[in-house]
Amino acid sequence: MGLREYVIRRLLQLVVTFWAFFTLLFVLFRLVPGDPTSMFILDGMTPEQREQRIAELGLDQPLHVQYVEYISQLLTGDFGQSFIYREPVIDIIIVRFMNTIVLMGTALFFAYLIGLTFGALMGWWRGSKFERGGIVVTLAARSSPEFWVGIVLLSVFVFWLGWFPSGGMRTTGGELGGGFLARYGSTDFLRHLFLPALTGAIVFMATPTLLMRNTMLDVLNADFIEIKKAEGLPERTVLYRHAARNSVLPIVTVMAIATGAAMGGSVVIETVFNWPGMGREMVRAVNSNDYPVAMAAFFLMGSVVIIMNFLADLAYVYLDPRVEYE
Amino acid sequence: MSLLEITDLKTYYRASDGWVRATDGVSLSVDRGETVGLVGESGSGKTTLAKSIIRLFPKNAEIVDGSINYDGTEITELTDRQLRKQIRWSEISMIPQNAMNGFDPVYTVGSQIVEVIRYHEDDTSKKEARKRARELFNELGIDPDRIDDYPHQFSGGMAQRAMIALALCLSPNIILADEPTTALDVVIQDRILETIKEKQREIDSAMIMITHDMSVVSETCDRIAVVYGGRVVEIADAETIMMSPRHPYTLGLRNAFPDISDEDKDLISIPGTPPDLVDPDEGCRFAPRCPFATEECWEVTPEAEDYGDGHMVECHRADEIEYLQEEAAKKETWMEQEIGRPDETPPEVTSDD
Ligand code: SF4
Repeated sequence: MGLREYVIRRLLQLVVTFWAFFTLLFVLFRLVPGDPTSMFILDGMTPEQREQRIAELGLDQPLHVQYVEYISQLLTGDFGQSFIYREPVIDIIIVRFMNTIVLMGTALFFAYLIGLTFGALMGWWRGSKFERGGIVVTLAARSSPEFWVGIVLLSVFVFWLGWFPSGGMRTTGGELGGGFLARYGSTDFLRHLFLPALTGAIVFMATPTLLMRNTMLDVLNADFIEIKKAEGLPERTVLYRHAARNSVLPIVTVMAIATGAAMGGSVVIETVFNWPGMGREMVRAVNSNDYPVAMAAFFLMGSVVIIMNFLADLAYVYLDPRVEYE
Repeated sequence: MSLLEITDLKTYYRASDGWVRATDGVSLSVDRGETVGLVGESGSGKTTLAKSIIRLFPKNAEIVDGSINYDGTEITELTDRQLRKQIRWSEISMIPQNAMNGFDPVYTVGSQIVEVIRYHEDDTSKKEARKRARELFNELGIDPDRIDDYPHQFSGGMAQRAMIALALCLSPNIILADEPTTALDVVIQDRILETIKEKQREIDSAMIMITHDMSVVSETCDRIAVVYGGRVVEIADAETIMMSPRHPYTLGLRNAFPDISDEDKDLISIPGTPPDLVDPDEGCRFAPRCPFATEECWEVTPEAEDYGDGHMVECHRADEIEYLQEEAAKKETWMEQEIGRPDETPPEVTSDD
């Protein structure tokens, strides 16, 4: 089977996975124990209002009709109205989602860039002071709570040095609107982004670093590494082109899952830095029974995980010629 | 002067409990076009010896003493960069034991051959390098189009041929062949060995064949060095080693492999395991396993003695050749309980004996 067939088949699988995920969400939100309608009914409604509301939401329909209705709404991106904001859910959630993607994407990018490089070097210089020191630093970063890292960075860079703003996404009064670049490319925004992204990077870095070091140690024992050295190739070439290139393979999947999970946003980082992202929004929605928003948030997060897994599989096939297209 | 002249070489590994003397005072020379076999069990130090020639060992290993003179260049004194640029692969290349694992799995075989050619030859274009790789494949009996295949798409025998192509691509003067056929089945083994020999003659390079298999060296080598406990305990031309060796270890090794001329011969293995090379004591290192060990063997390390025609033997009793050969051929001689230092394990007095 060729690459093209493989991709097509994976795409079909993707559709099936999404369908299963939609259904699961439906089941979770409609068939929870107790009266499902109670979630949608606010206190202090008269019985007539209740009836009307239930009819409005289509909850008086048979389950299969509700299901079909639900799927078609998801596919058109219609998540209904937020109970709290009285605005379409999609408008609320999309902005938060983009904010999170930018923050977490930046954090993950640097976490993996630095983590993979350091992990590779730690494996390469096994037994050196660099490796031992690196492990200590990595473990320290791994065991530091996010809020603590955030607060330390805040006190040093904001309250002491005064280099960065203390929170939020942009200085009040800074013009909003315009395209993506105008929103997320301005110096003001980048200054706001720096500390929360750094916090995320520090927290996320441990996994790729330690994993990379471990797989490096395995790969460095492989015969071909010795041959590459015997060939007289420079250390740099053997390290990056051969050892690290092979070591990165098992990390691709981990990276995809981590990315998926991170897109849910980090409540802690968003709270410490007052970042208007998905994590905080989700907690708020759940706490205030803003069911449509919570559901949309779950939907987006789950979708990202599924898509990242799909991309990881494609990347793996691209990176490792040994993978059979099965 | 020989192409390669190793003198009193000592390569030690740092271990938690001291120095592992993997190569401990070895002298060996290799002439142009000559094939020298290094035979010994695994753990005898034969591989360390061979890899020391291109200083290919882990970071905890070190050449602590001795000299390796390659064609006038003292290898032990080169910087890493000089070693990589001037010696490795362009002058001395190697064929590893398991070719399947000798190629990086994520690149095509051809691109790996091209990589090494282009690193060593600044003026060679990618196109020329590819052309050379195709030619080599063709000469070695592989379809040239397969240079664009990945290593896992090759069979074991084909991967070994591709590895030979890689080893030959810079026409080296010495090829280190580390058990080049053990991973293959017997039918293919012979063909691969023939191919190696043929190509070696063609480019007139010397070869050091590392193996535990007496039958392999007897077919392919001009001279054979028997390695035990980090030392060359016996060296002579192939015929002498096969027909009239003087060292008990050589006799033992010979017993362990089938003899083509004598099909009914019993295979006898040497009891025990190679010695621990961490700070070994005085005395012959083979003594704990040697059926002929005497008190002297345990106390005094034997010196190499010359028995003519470059036949060097490190054994106190090497002059008793007839007795040794006769006894060594008997199975009883190599019984486990018969050997070991007498005063260390005092014989138990049993009533019915
Ligand atoms: S020196 Fe002694 S112990 Fe060593 S091989 Fe010769 S006879 Fe055996």
